[in-house]
Amino acid sequence: MTPVRRWLLVALGVCVLVLTPTAIRSLPVADSDVSAADLLQRVQDSASVPYSGYAEAVGGMQLPVSDQFSDLAQLLGERTRLRVWWRAADDWRVDALDITGETDLIRSTDGLVMWEYEAARATYTDDPPVRLPRAADLVPPVLGRLVLGEAVAEEVSRLPAVRVAGREAPGLRLTPADSQTTVDHVDVWVDPDTGLALRVAVYGAGDTPAMTTTFLDLTTQRPAAAQTAFTPPPDAHVDYDEAVDIAAAADRFAPFTAPDRLAGLDRRITPGVGAVGQYGRGVARLIAIPLRDEDADPLREQLLTTTNSRSGRRGVSVTVGPLGLLLTPHAHDRPTWLLAGTVTQRTLSTAARQLADGPELIR
Amino acid sequence: MIGVELVKMLRRPRTWVTIGLLNGLPTLVAILLALTDLGPRPGTGPAFLSAVLSDGTLFPLAALAIVLPFFLPIAVAVVAGDSVAGEAQAGTLRYVLTRPVGRTHLLFAKLVSVIAFVLLAVLVVAATGYVVGTLLLGDQPLASSVSGTSLTPAQVTGRTVLSILYVVLSMLGVAAIALFLSTTTDSALGAALGALAVLVASSVLFTLDAAAALQPYLPTRYWLAFVDLFRDPILWRDVLRGVLLQIIYVAVFLGASWANFTTKDITS
Repeated sequence: MTPVRRWLLVALGVCVLVLTPTAIRSLPVADSDVSAADLLQRVQDSASVPYSGYAEAVGGMQLPVSDQFSDLAQLLGERTRLRVWWRAADDWRVDALDITGETDLIRSTDGLVMWEYEAARATYTDDPPVRLPRAADLVPPVLGRLVLGEAVAEEVSRLPAVRVAGREAPGLRLTPADSQTTVDHVDVWVDPDTGLALRVAVYGAGDTPAMTTTFLDLTTQRPAAAQTAFTPPPDAHVDYDEAVDIAAAADRFAPFTAPDRLAGLDRRITPGVGAVGQYGRGVARLIAIPLRDEDADPLREQLLTTTNSRSGRRGVSVTVGPLGLLLTPHAHDRPTWLLAGTVTQRTLSTAARQLADGPELIR
Repeated sequence: MIGVELVKMLRRPRTWVTIGLLNGLPTLVAILLALTDLGPRPGTGPAFLSAVLSDGTLFPLAALAIVLPFFLPIAVAVVAGDSVAGEAQAGTLRYVLTRPVGRTHLLFAKLVSVIAFVLLAVLVVAATGYVVGTLLLGDQPLASSVSGTSLTPAQVTGRTVLSILYVVLSMLGVAAIALFLSTTTDSALGAALGALAVLVASSVLFTLDAAAALQPYLPTRYWLAFVDLFRDPILWRDVLRGVLLQIIYVAVFLGASWANFTTKDITS
């Protein structure tokens, strides 16, 4: 064989290897004639569908908050690899993987267990109605139902189908009608058979999504019960926590309560029950958390060192993608409130003013 | 020819000095862990290093995780880079080729010798890790998987063997790149540094979001996926992709080595 033929043989092999994946990805995807309203309904009805799979979420929001806010900055600003087994809303397991271990959330009717491999620690808590976002919220069907759960047919339109996790998935675009939200639109690709969201991309201003989560593998068979059961290994540290994070702790123990209505948004859960207020509908969401000084002061210092922070009469505020944060000033007779959500800075300022000027709400 | 190359590799003091140095760092780490009982903070240290504090039988994996990102590829690149270029640099390649063997056969013998070195180095690191780990850090009747379930000693052994094979295969990709470069130059150092440059570039691109489209094809992309063998159930996704990717790298660079070496003008 001549030298030229030898090199041609090698070059041909390289071309086949390089082009094969590209060719497979370029195969045409058959679109579906399902209407946007019908697809939306299927997503909203998918809460009871069991599944298991592997997903990756990529956040583009560099949140200037410290460790006291759990792994929130990592969740919203980095790549998270997720393994999920979902049997029902109160029977699931979501593992957040990294190269040195994993942090798992296991939900059962008894509550929630968090398994941290590198700390060899299992922490039992309840699953409170008020809490910070967690890895399990980034699982595509969970995030899909969160953003589309309260959408109406007039807010959605169809997008062409794409192939996600080997399935042909028709797309849906949510363009929120609410003028108070900073979310420009949300694109969701859906498994038409089950209504499970397979890929979700949330956009603020600009063309780059602030958050994307995608299934790479998916099975819609019901996972075995053993897959969502958990018994701590013999040498693990076992803890029992009364509150899963700072928001749940504030909701449970702070001696205040948030008002029933804030900046024109209605409170979402039974008014007067907890200290933390969750407001709004759809993708226009606002949370108001009363903070202790020992939690508020380091957060304020951190926000002030952020390059795009603004400090004013209503407090210090930061905008990160579609997410806005405002920490109210220290006051002797009132708590410091952390206001955060996918709402405009104007909405946050109005909420801060109402909290400062309104009646003090003691529990 | 294969036997000659294997004996040559095993008789070289450099082979055993390299393997000895490879074991130095994990052994030092085991001693420090045993003395201080201080593991790395979550997310900061090599894989399995926090787990070995309570179960030394996992130390072979921690030892591999310690040497895998840097020391092991350097050792493999040096040995594979030297395989052909070293002969040329020493002026012996022409004499080697005067033996009644074809160049393809010689290249194959060099390849087998490099594979034997990789296998030997990884096995010695794992075996030393096991001995040092169980002696200094103790053992447990049931190990914990990364997912928090219990693993029997048989399961730990089986998954450790799979991890060793995976690391060996990952290093064969490095060896193939270095072997190809070794056929293109008369400088063994140049071939080794060239292979390391490819790995450094791969590691840098792996951290860049802008290089996301390239990342599935980077040679270092799936090196640490052997950790997935200790999740429960085993997460095969990245392991299988890592195996496939390394096979492709080995096939492509061995093909290029063959195409280049069999037609090369041997001047030294």
